[in-house]
Amino acid sequence: MLQLDHIDAGYGPVQVLGSVSLAAQEGSITVIVGPNGAGKSTILKVITGLVRPTGGHVVFQERDITALPAHDRPALGIASCPEGRRLFPLLTAETNLRLGAYTPRGRNAADATMEYVYRLFPRLRERAGVKAGRLSGGEQQMVGIGRALMAKPSILILDEPSLGLAPKLVSEIFAKIQELRKGGLTVLMVEQNAYAALRIADFGYVMQNGQVVRSGPTKDLLDLEALRRDYFATG
Amino acid sequence: MRIPRMRFPTFGPTLYGLALLMVVLGIATPFLPIVAKVQLINFLLFVGLAYALNFITGLTGYVSFGHAIFMGIGAYALGGGIDRLGFPPLLGVFLGAGLGAAFAVGIGLVTLRFRGVYFAITTLVLFLAAKNIVPEISQLGEGGGIFMNLGFQPLAQFYTIWAIVVIEIGLTYWVTHGRLGYGLRAIKSDEDVAKTVGVNASRLKLSLFGISGMFTGATGAVYAWTLSAVLPETGFDITFSLRMLAMIIIGGAGTLLGPFLGAIIVYVPYNYFQTVQSLLGLQLAVIGALVLLIALFIPTGIVGTVRRYVPFLRRYIE
Repeated sequence: MLQLDHIDAGYGPVQVLGSVSLAAQEGSITVIVGPNGAGKSTILKVITGLVRPTGGHVVFQERDITALPAHDRPALGIASCPEGRRLFPLLTAETNLRLGAYTPRGRNAADATMEYVYRLFPRLRERAGVKAGRLSGGEQQMVGIGRALMAKPSILILDEPSLGLAPKLVSEIFAKIQELRKGGLTVLMVEQNAYAALRIADFGYVMQNGQVVRSGPTKDLLDLEALRRDYFATG
Repeated sequence: MRIPRMRFPTFGPTLYGLALLMVVLGIATPFLPIVAKVQLINFLLFVGLAYALNFITGLTGYVSFGHAIFMGIGAYALGGGIDRLGFPPLLGVFLGAGLGAAFAVGIGLVTLRFRGVYFAITTLVLFLAAKNIVPEISQLGEGGGIFMNLGFQPLAQFYTIWAIVVIEIGLTYWVTHGRLGYGLRAIKSDEDVAKTVGVNASRLKLSLFGISGMFTGATGAVYAWTLSAVLPETGFDITFSLRMLAMIIIGGAGTLLGPFLGAIIVYVPYNYFQTVQSLLGLQLAVIGALVLLIALFIPTGIVGTVRRYVPFLRRYIE
């Protein structure tokens, strides 16, 4: 459904990604793991259009979207929840959700999707009128994912959904992500919490220094020794 | 729970109040003594400038320090139009609006790529450049200014600025209450995330900067009309940049009522201090102190603060 083909990217003179290729299959959960500074978030920014790659191609549903501006991507079905949620803190939870349905694709189904999001995260219904900046970390993550869902995406991009959450909340959020996949959604996420993420995903990529060092079905990647080597770059 | 579509919005008490006030002013002014007419024209010039800056700085959060540049462009458009092309004043105001919008779009294409303080500094520098370039143009008086022999036309001036303000208020309401309003709040809050939910931030910012430049240009033209002259010092007057900012900060940036309240608070001392010899020149110091206090203690301005602490008024003012 989504392919990255030999992507080079960086910020100014600093190159972060070197010839990264990866793919997310329709209806699956794909996870990118790796230590800090490996370039995981930059990959997601290339996919959402916030960073323009200097080389390579981004292909979504057989269409080359490498040069498509960020604001045109949600209309194709690409929705994301950025790192640290990045909600609109002074707007209420509900307004944050509504903003997710800014494009016609999301707007036309907004009422139904809002109901779907509230059923997925019942807590949000009670907290609808609270300013997003005042919500707890877990609630903010729910709003972040909910806001992305409001766009009626065919692929959901998540950047560190477990960031700053208590372990119990992490498993709760991960369970919801699995539930979304069961509903037919394709999920691509980046996680530091490699072990937990690989357990729910179908396919994984391990990154190091801006490159994919290992990839494969997650059952093959769940070798803790190898993971430890990837993270600490020993041997 | 419906996502607002692009439809004509429902009317609110603030809009009704402002509309009523403008209608009363529109009907009553011809019968007022001449001093009051002049006062009202000058006051509405301030209101016009406040709403004009509110479009960009209030609604998108991009602080423009150089907005007086568009006043200067409007003023010189009026002067040049009348002096060189034989335009009637009203046509000069339209020319000022058109050039204000055109220059704003041109400037915005480059400067709106900068964010935060970089945008503010760039607009300030452009203002300083324009202030020195325009007076060098020989067709525009070469720094000696342009003097127009227009005579005294208070009613024509009044209704021109009145119409500008009415359009600004209507447009502010329309922009903030539709789908665009959601997009603008997103941009003001977090521009990158706004893009990832599908807000065309560049186009929206540029449109608002253009609208802002258009109204600032038109108001600058009317200001020059009331002076019957365009001079480099009155055309490109940095204190107007500061007053514009002061008005929307005091009143409440991005709100519908804020710019109007801010204009009252900035205009009244401005006007009063000019009539008292010992206070002359102090008005900017007083306004400066006021802005400082508001920015420090109630950064959302009068409207934002009242809405926050007086819940029962929340439905009535915005």
